[in-house]
Amino acid sequence: MAAVARAGGGYLERPRPSGLADVIDVILDKGLVIDAYVRVSLIGIEILTIDARIVIASVDTYLRFAEAVGRLDIQQADDSQGLPELMESMTSGGAQSKTKGALEGVKDAISGGGDDDDDDDKKQSSSSRRRSSSGSSSSRSRSRKSS
Amino acid sequence: MPQADARVYVYGVLAGADAPNVSADGVEQAHVRTVEHAGLAALVSTLGSEELAAAREVRAHWRVLEDASNSATVLPVRFGTVLEGDRAVREQLLEPNAERLTEMLDELAGRVQLNVRGDYDEQQLLREVVRTSPQVAALRDRVSRVSDSAGYYDRIRLGELVAAEIAARREQDTALAMARLEPFAVSARAEEISSQNGAFKLAFLVESAEMDTFGEAVGLLRENLAERVTLTYVGPLPPYTFAETDLSAGTAAWA
Repeated sequence: MAAVARAGGGYLERPRPSGLADVIDVILDKGLVIDAYVRVSLIGIEILTIDARIVIASVDTYLRFAEAVGRLDIQQADDSQGLPELMESMTSGGAQSKTKGALEGVKDAISGGGDDDDDDDKKQSSSSRRRSSSGSSSSRSRSRKSS
Repeated sequence: MPQADARVYVYGVLAGADAPNVSADGVEQAHVRTVEHAGLAALVSTLGSEELAAAREVRAHWRVLEDASNSATVLPVRFGTVLEGDRAVREQLLEPNAERLTEMLDELAGRVQLNVRGDYDEQQLLREVVRTSPQVAALRDRVSRVSDSAGYYDRIRLGELVAAEIAARREQDTALAMARLEPFAVSARAEEISSQNGAFKLAFLVESAEMDTFGEAVGLLRENLAERVTLTYVGPLPPYTFAETDLSAGTAAWA
């Protein structure tokens, strides 16, 4: 994303154009609701609307957190902002994908089936995945006029 | 059957004067057109079947709205909305809701939705939790010394404590981000977090002319959160979050 250095030391950020994965929740959930609609079947809608909150407060989640906390190399806890930490998180892709949220998995499924329009947000949706996919995917930004 | 009676898929509503410029294909790859009435225009396309493949058509819905909102203020309609035909669009959507829709369009004109999402790095977050919560650290030690089956309930308790710590951090970080950004927006919403590593998910309605000011605030927030939270700043979007209205009440008079 574009960032322009400012005299005051801050950065002026420009938003990047949205990918489908950025807005799928709002598309399904928000927007005008019209009363007089005709019912049509939306095939496969359930996989788009899996409620990830179920995952967040279950015994399974607790056990996974416990496991993840147990796996931590606490030696590294002392210098968590430093280079060792960065190296560690770059190489721990396996552990991270295990604890990835369910909805992100669904988003991957959506993004992966079809064309490449939202490659760029797959890269953005978590720091670890950005690292892992930056070499392989071609990001194509949609250009838009700012209105 | 004449075209006018065919069912139509509805994407959004805009002011009739704003000639929309939609080149994207619609649902079922149909041509996107407008149905106009009472100074308003509905973006629609004719629908052939009664079944829609959700994953594919969600993409079409999104593209049409992105395209249209490049040149006009569009009120997005919820995904999957189908009306009986052009006549129903005029008589059941535009006519009975003309006042409300016009009001909303006026309110949103010259404004855009910008989304700011924060995500934690899970490893880093968990380390911070262990470091700052003596309770978690102690339980973690205890659990590590016994077998999985012997420590089952302790492990659940540990996970529960970790989850509570994460929830508390989310609350703090959401409040922090809101405090930094809300002053530069016309309106702001905190959405429910739907992913495990999510820190916050915020939607802002911002004057188009104020986007740079808002962008500076986002830059400062990013500096402030440093390495702890990865920010994703996306937009401008059609005002999905700020056009959330149930029009059912307006059409109920004759029902």
